[in-house]
Parts: sequence; structure tokens; C-alpha cells
Amino acid sequence: MKKYLLTFLMVLLLTTPALAKVNVVATLPFIGSIAKEIGKDKIDVATLVKPSQDPHFAEAKPSMILAARKADIIMYNGLDLEIGYLPRIIESSSNPKIQPGKIGNLDCSQFVSAIEKPTSVDRSMGDVHPLGNPHYHFSPKNILKVAEGISKVLSELDASNAVFYKSNLQSFRERLITKEKQWGSRPLKGKKFVAYHRLFEYLAREFGFQIIAYVEPKPGIPPSAGYLSELVELIKRSKPNAILATEANGKKESEALGQKTGTKVIILPHDVGNPGAQDWFSLMDTIINSIS
Amino acid sequence: MKRRIVFFLLLSIFACAVNSYAADIESRLNALEETIKQQGRTIEEQQRVISELREELKKSKQEDVVAATEKVPEEKPPTEEKSLKFTGLFGGSNLANPNISLILNTFGYTSNLKQIELNTRGIPGYYTNGDFTKNNIANTKGFNLDSAELGFYAPVDPYFNLYATIPITENGIEVEEVYFLTTSLPYGFQIKGGKFKSGFGRINGQHSHVWDFKDLPLPYRAFIAGEGIEEIGVQINYLPPLPFYTLLGFEVLQGKNAMLFGPDARSGPHAFTGFAKASFDLSDNSTLLIGQSVISGSTKTNTIADNTEFQGTSTLYDTEITYKWKPSTTQSFTLQSEYLYRDQKGDLSDSSVPGVTTVNTLKRAQDGLYVQGIYQLYRWRLGARYDLLDLFKKDYILSGNQTDFGAKPWRVSGMLEFNPTEFSRLRLQYNHDMSARDGRANDEMILQLLFAIGAHGAHPF
Repeated sequence: MKKYLLTFLMVLLLTTPALAKVNVVATLPFIGSIAKEIGKDKIDVATLVKPSQDPHFAEAKPSMILAARKADIIMYNGLDLEIGYLPRIIESSSNPKIQPGKIGNLDCSQFVSAIEKPTSVDRSMGDVHPLGNPHYHFSPKNILKVAEGISKVLSELDASNAVFYKSNLQSFRERLITKEKQWGSRPLKGKKFVAYHRLFEYLAREFGFQIIAYVEPKPGIPPSAGYLSELVELIKRSKPNAILATEANGKKESEALGQKTGTKVIILPHDVGNPGAQDWFSLMDTIINSIS
Repeated sequence: MKRRIVFFLLLSIFACAVNSYAADIESRLNALEETIKQQGRTIEEQQRVISELREELKKSKQEDVVAATEKVPEEKPPTEEKSLKFTGLFGGSNLANPNISLILNTFGYTSNLKQIELNTRGIPGYYTNGDFTKNNIANTKGFNLDSAELGFYAPVDPYFNLYATIPITENGIEVEEVYFLTTSLPYGFQIKGGKFKSGFGRINGQHSHVWDFKDLPLPYRAFIAGEGIEEIGVQINYLPPLPFYTLLGFEVLQGKNAMLFGPDARSGPHAFTGFAKASFDLSDNSTLLIGQSVISGSTKTNTIADNTEFQGTSTLYDTEITYKWKPSTTQSFTLQSEYLYRDQKGDLSDSSVPGVTTVNTLKRAQDGLYVQGIYQLYRWRLGARYDLLDLFKKDYILSGNQTDFGAKPWRVSGMLEFNPTEFSRLRLQYNHDMSARDGRANDEMILQLLFAIGAHGAHPF
């Protein structure tokens, strides 16, 4: 009996170093991807929302609560994108480490300069985000800021590996700067697109193209027949380069519209983990290549 | 500069040469010397001014640089503001105020039965007495205002969150729920205290506006009524760090529920709940939730029949299972079922004959079940539900004799919903209700409208 106990204890001791990894829970795949770039093998990352899921309509699942229960830190997009499920998950997790105000509660949007902040908002405007457009994950400038923030917080949380996180951030930064130059040289300036949802506003601003109309009349509200016929007219008049949508968000509606107007429809991966997007860099590569 | 000197020298020499005849050589040489010296002084003066100007220029440039470096921190405040801006979990526009919401729940109702029949329609063997209009059992034909439900929630401090649900009805203001919840207990423990919906069962924990049908299923109506077990007390729950989701909970409650316990059954808290729930993700798109609950306590009620009072103990068991399949945003399917079993022992005093009170022992062991399925496609939801009582057990043993009340009570419901956004819901529901055991159906049509404004929190699974 004693022997078994001893073996058990030995096994426990041997497995402790593995447990010493920082347990990161990320709401969205891209956040997990960036955390992994900074934390590499010093962190374990669990992602709550599946890559195929539309982040707007994710729902709380008991398994998400369990993941949050075991987390050292929870990293989320913020700007109200996760408001439908995250507050409940954090509260139900019974995990004091990740409660609001604690270091383990990381709102990545705090590092970001949000755009399209409405000066006044009510729900008659649809599912408008009062804190600004939350889809900053297509913005290299903001993602760098987020990576810096994550590196800083990881260094605080796990001070013994601070140098490791800093050097990973440095190589991430260098890679991003090289990539940004590459992306910036693509012929995107002056292009015009129609998009299903306000997903690509940051990208448009940084790479100088234009989104002239949306298939959704208001954020989160599907288009009516009347609105669609107006849109068909607009597309025929202003001849955009393409209609942009994602697999989970507006694919069907956009393809129907594309057929009606003879306009190219480009289905883009909306987050890391979808085909052509193993990590954040390849997500951006795929998007920039597809639209230029 | 040198060229200029040479030029002036040549000019002077030339001038001297021109005037050489007039004056003597000595004085001319002196004059020449004087001129050269003077010019040298002028040049020196000019150079001094130039270097002075140069230095001034340098200084001003340095000042510019200093000013520029000083300007950088001046530009910083926006970035500082960025980190200060309120991006908390609880939404955009609140720092000190609680989140406030208002939910309007209103419906139109029609039935083939007369209003008086509706108001007295109980389930013999379960309950036939009580104010059904107040107990969320009988509806009024025509327009109904269920409630305008005020909701408040906010963190109290780093250790507690506070929630309140206060429905306002035509009869006044109620306190459906008001409770604190701890956020900082270690090892996965959490304590809830105040008045709250018990963690017993599945539907019990849901507010009426998130129900999948306008009304509760028959087993809930027969054993609990109202909007479920809403009691004053304390709950402690534990979320162990297992490989799959497990939640264990225990409650001590005052025990006011009119059908199960009653406020006068005993002084002090006299209802106790225990529950265990587990959940598994069967795939990325499908989740299974199972649970077992029990609530037990002292009972003193008058709902069993007219002019009766029952005193004893009640235990209610609940087994729940929910399967949810959600392959995408556009469609989902949920299958949900609960089986309830109630064990009750005690004395029934009957004073239906004026002046005479007879007391008999009563033992009731009864059960019931509901099964419901909801299919969602885009903004539409289609649902069906089947309720049944007396499923395996229909013991109603008065003084050792089984009483037979007749046919099993059952009901079937169908509903169609349109949800323009997550904040509004239009629902049409039909019930074919055979719960009164009298062979007569209550065919009900309900058109329900639900609207939510304000900061409304996330819904649980």
C-alpha cells in the first residue's frame, strides 16, 4: 500500500512541472494564437469559441465554465463582442483569479485604438457596439499592441519567464513589420468592396481600400427583399471589386447577391483555425491575397 | 571674405596711385595703413555678428528639439485615456451605475372553456384548491399583462455581485429574486444568498421570459406551481476541476412554496436542496447536460383539495437531461426532458362538513414527465412539448386506501416563435390540455410578446 502511495506521490511530483505552465483561456481563436506566439511552450491555451463559430452568436456552454474554472488568465476581445456569454462564464467559473479587476482578466481591447465609436447609440440601430467596432483582429497595428499587452501581462503573471516572453514578442514584432511591408505593397489602394458585416473596417483603413456598402442593412439584421434590390442597383452603378463575407457570416446572402449582379464574391476566413489560417499571420496572408 | 579684402586693397592701391601726385608719400602711406586697419576692424565686427547669429540660431533649434520632445508626452494622454476608457465586462456606459433592464411580458389568450371553468380547473389528486389566477395557472381570456420585469445587476465590490429581479404586475411590485453571489472564494466554491430561484431541476432556474413555452410543463404545475421554487435562503455550490463539467450544490431554504412546504409548516428554515449536474461536449456542435436534484422539507398546505389542510413532509426528486445541437448560427435543435417524482407523508384534516374536522393519514407518491424539442432556423423557432402525470406512480393513499382519480392527466403543446432580434420575441402557442381528468379538453391559444430593453445579462446554457 505504502509503495503505491509513494509511486503516486512520485508521479504527482513528476507531473508538477507540467502543471506549472500558465493556463490561458482565450475567448476567440486569434487571441489564443497571439498568446501562443508570445508564450510558446510556457503556456497552455484553451479557446472557448470554435473557429467555425460566428463570435457574435456564441453561447455559454458548461465546458466553457469548466475551462474558465481552471484558468490562470482569461483573455478576451472586449468592446462588448463577448457580452452574450462571457460575463456569465466568468461569474460561474468560481475562479477568483479571472474576475474583473484581477490581473487574470485581460480585456485585449484596452490596448487598441477602437474606430467607429458611435456618439450616440440605441438598439433601433441594430446590434451596434457602443464602444466601437470590435473586429480589430485584422489590424496589424492593433494586433502588435495586443501582443505587447499580452507579453506584459504574462511577464507579470509568470515573472520567471519574463525574458522569454519579451524575446518572443521581439521576434513577433520583427515578423509583423516585415509582413506589414509585404501586405502594404499589395495593390489594395483605391479598391472598392461591398461587405456583409462591418468586419473589415480596420483593414480598409490600414490598407487604403473602401467598403462602399453592407449587405446587412444594420449590424446583425438580415437584409429584407426591398433593401437587397436597392443594393443590387447600387452594385450595378458603382461596380465594386467584390463582395466580402465569411463562412459563418453572410455567405449565402452574399453569394445570392453576387449571382444577381455578376460580382465576384470572396469568402474569407474570419478567424484563426479556418482553412488557410493556421495562425494569425497566415490568416492575414490569406485575406490580403484573396482581396488583392 | 579674402577676395573682398584683396579687392579693397587693390582699390585702395589704385586710389593711392591716382592721388600719388598730389600728396607726399608719407601721409599717403599713413592714410592707406589707417584704411586697411579700419577695414580689418569692420570685417572682424561682421564676423562676430555672424557667429553670434549662428549661435542664436543653434540655440533656437535646440529649443525646438526640446519643445518637440516635450510635445511627445503631450500627445500621450490619448493613449493613456485609451487604457482608462471603460471596457469592462459589463458593457459600455456604466462605471458606477448598476445594469438595469426592463422586460415586458404580455400575451393574448383564448380558450374553448368559460372563464369560471378556467379559474377553478385543478388537477384532482394533485391540487384542486388555491387561487389559480395568482399562481400562474389560470389565464384571463383576452389581453393579459404578465409583468414588466425590472432587472438590476452589478458587482458590489471585488467579493460580491448583486442581482435583483423585480416584476411589476397590475397587482403591485414583487421581489422575485434578489441575491448576492460571491466571486472570490477559492477552490471552486460559490455562495449565493437572499431570495433566488433554486438550483433544483432545469426549468426551475430559468426566468419566465426565457422559457421555451409561455407556461410551465404539467409536472412543474402539479408539484411546484408559480414560477418554480423561489425561496429565501442560502446556496453553496462547488465546481470541481474534473475533466468534465460537474456542479454540486446544496441549499438551505425557508420553505415558503405553497404546494411543497408552506410558510407555517415549521418555524425556521425547513426546506433543503441538493443537486448534481454534469455536462459533456459530445462534439464541437453538440452538448449533453444531465442532472439529479432533490428537495425535501416540512409541509403545511391547503392546496390538495377544498377545505383541507395537509401537514407532513414532502420530498421532490428531479432527473433532467438536455441535448443541444448547434452546428451554426442559423440552426439549432434542443431536446429537453425532466422526470419529477414526489413523495409525501402526513395527515390530511378535512373540514368540508361544517363543524366536523376529520383527520386521516395521507401518503402520496406521484410522478410526471415532460419532453420538449425546439428547432431553430434563422430567426424562427418551432417547438413541441408533451406532458404527462401519473406516469409510473399514482399513489394517493388516504387512511390506507388508494383513491383513484381517473384518467392520466396529459397535455400537448406546440409553438412557433419569431425573434426579430435577441431583444424581442413573438410567440404563438397552442395547448391541448387534458389535465383535469374530466374528459374535457382545454384548447388554448396564446399570442405572447416579449421585449427587453436596457443592459440585460448573458443567459446561461
